[in-house]
Amino acid sequence: MELFISIFVATIVAATPLVFAALGELVVEKSGVLNLGIEGMMLVGAAFGVWAHFAGLSMPVALLTAVLSGAVVSLLFGVLALTFMTNQYAAGLALAIFGTGVSAFVGRGFGSTPVEAIQPLHFPVLSDIPVIGPMLFQFDPLVYFSFVMFALVTWFLYRTKAGLALRAIGESPDSAHAIGYPVIKIRYLAVMFGGAMAGLGGAYLSLVYTPLWVENMTAGRGWISLALVVFAAWRPLRVMIGAWLFGGMTILQLQGQAMGVSVPSEVLSALPYLATIVVLVLISQNRKAMALDFPVSLAQPFRPRG
Amino acid sequence: MKRVTRRDVLKYGSAAGLAAGLSGLPSIGQAADVLKVGAVYVSPVSEIGWTKQHSLGIEAIQEEFGDNVEVTVIDNIFRPQDAERVFRELAASGNHLIFGTSFSHGTPMQKVAPRFPKVAFEHCSGIKHLKNLGTFEAKYFEGCYVAGVLAGHVSKSAKIGFIGGFPIPDIVGPANALLRGAQSVNPDTTCNVIFLNSWFDPGKEKEAAKTLVSQGCDVICSMTDTATGVQVAGENDVWSVGYASDMANFGNGKHLTAFTLNWAPVYVQAAKDVAAGTWQSTERWQGLSDGVVRMSPFNADLPGEAVSAAQKAQDEIIAGTLHPFAGELKDQGGGVRVEAGGVLSDGDIRSFDWFVEGVIGNLG
Repeated sequence: MELFISIFVATIVAATPLVFAALGELVVEKSGVLNLGIEGMMLVGAAFGVWAHFAGLSMPVALLTAVLSGAVVSLLFGVLALTFMTNQYAAGLALAIFGTGVSAFVGRGFGSTPVEAIQPLHFPVLSDIPVIGPMLFQFDPLVYFSFVMFALVTWFLYRTKAGLALRAIGESPDSAHAIGYPVIKIRYLAVMFGGAMAGLGGAYLSLVYTPLWVENMTAGRGWISLALVVFAAWRPLRVMIGAWLFGGMTILQLQGQAMGVSVPSEVLSALPYLATIVVLVLISQNRKAMALDFPVSLAQPFRPRG
Repeated sequence: MKRVTRRDVLKYGSAAGLAAGLSGLPSIGQAADVLKVGAVYVSPVSEIGWTKQHSLGIEAIQEEFGDNVEVTVIDNIFRPQDAERVFRELAASGNHLIFGTSFSHGTPMQKVAPRFPKVAFEHCSGIKHLKNLGTFEAKYFEGCYVAGVLAGHVSKSAKIGFIGGFPIPDIVGPANALLRGAQSVNPDTTCNVIFLNSWFDPGKEKEAAKTLVSQGCDVICSMTDTATGVQVAGENDVWSVGYASDMANFGNGKHLTAFTLNWAPVYVQAAKDVAAGTWQSTERWQGLSDGVVRMSPFNADLPGEAVSAAQKAQDEIIAGTLHPFAGELKDQGGGVRVEAGGVLSDGDIRSFDWFVEGVIGNLG
């Protein structure tokens, strides 16, 4: 039981950076923009978060710095892809590479010092309930915040007028433009939201999870988030399931290795990727339903006419 | 320390040219007045870890040669296909001595070296050497054994944990040695082993370390390129063993020791030999006795008997009276690999593809 609890807790925590980054990208893609630069934005957030932390700022301010830095660096992509209408794939890749470099520069000198992590919360009474307490009520604040963000993103996309407008733009920017929505402006906001969330995901790694700064520390989590959005067929709940599944399989394969399961470690290491893809493809089987969620104008530059 | 003057280098250079002409050895040959050294790192130079220790080797060359050396460093080159281009460029741009610092640099170096017979190549952790491609490697397992002795003293659960980058002999050997060291104190000790299949993924390393803690390990040794393992151990109030650099300030007071790598003598010697025209492709495999592997200061909170036992093990390894893989040595399945009285041969250590008795893990 103790082992199960520790696997469960580790899964939720491991999935949290993916959840932030993927929810951000979901909103970006729902607006019809494909930003491949998540990895770069996560690294920028991770580095600026650490930088702010060592500059003596409090943890909330350091996290805010990371969020802002992610949003600001996403503007680079925004200007290229939205204002100058360059190829979004190229602009996103450029951002991924640029962000990696910038983060390495910002993080210089911080690699040999541990970060004082945010401590898990302890709720009176609730945290002390056996089993349920450690499973649900002993996470750090950002884990709870990731659930809040999930709820907010879902509510925003499907229950608000602004969310409807954003999805409309993702479907047909021309129609949205024709009825008076500021397509470019809304897409800019979506891109910045994606950047902010990626920055937060990165900062979660460097300030809460690991917590230390190492160059390239996201180690591909940005790309995994990107893949999660696609395989989750642009549905928030599936993004969450995919992230947990990926986190869970990662933890399980490590547990399996440590227990001496007689499967080569290389195969076990590939399991999270395989399992996540298989499951998400299976639950996204219904092509018609999937077509409803796919933002048709994805990655197509929008040029306002008239 | 004698400073090498420009004149010296010129003198050695022309002598080297002669020597090279005679023997076909790579050397500076064309009376270059500055020794040009190139190095390729597998990851960025952070403040600690594998690449940092290599950068200290390059710095030692710069200190030794001063203005008479010109260094070109390319970092973050892991994939062989990138590395080949980088090595070719370094060789073509007139470097006399080129260091590769990762196992993955091996194949590219073996391809490039024959095309530049006058350039000396040095490959760390390589296994194949050519006429102008030397290899050097550290006996990590010696340091790991000493750390294991400490682990054996402090482990209450008699379960220790090991996190490795990849399941290669240079990682499998130290994992075995760590457990052998611990078993020299408590023969019932077991060791859970996890491979990340990555050198550089702090997030996954954290998960691996937590996994080991959740399975009851109370000493964790992590042979990757970050201090994450040490840090997670400290957070969970279990002991840790650092690797490559001293990681004590990450360990929350629970850092037992680290087996650190000191490549400076290897780097400086290679540079001196190339400058003097006497460089030859050799295979070096050095450990505690050569100062290439060194133990960082033992944790001050350790009981005296633990420290003296570890010190004794270290002294005996240096003196050659203790071998971490001396018989009787059994494998995971209980089969005897080395009879009592014998030791595992160097060749067998360098091609370790099995775990010793007591390891819980799988090599596939």
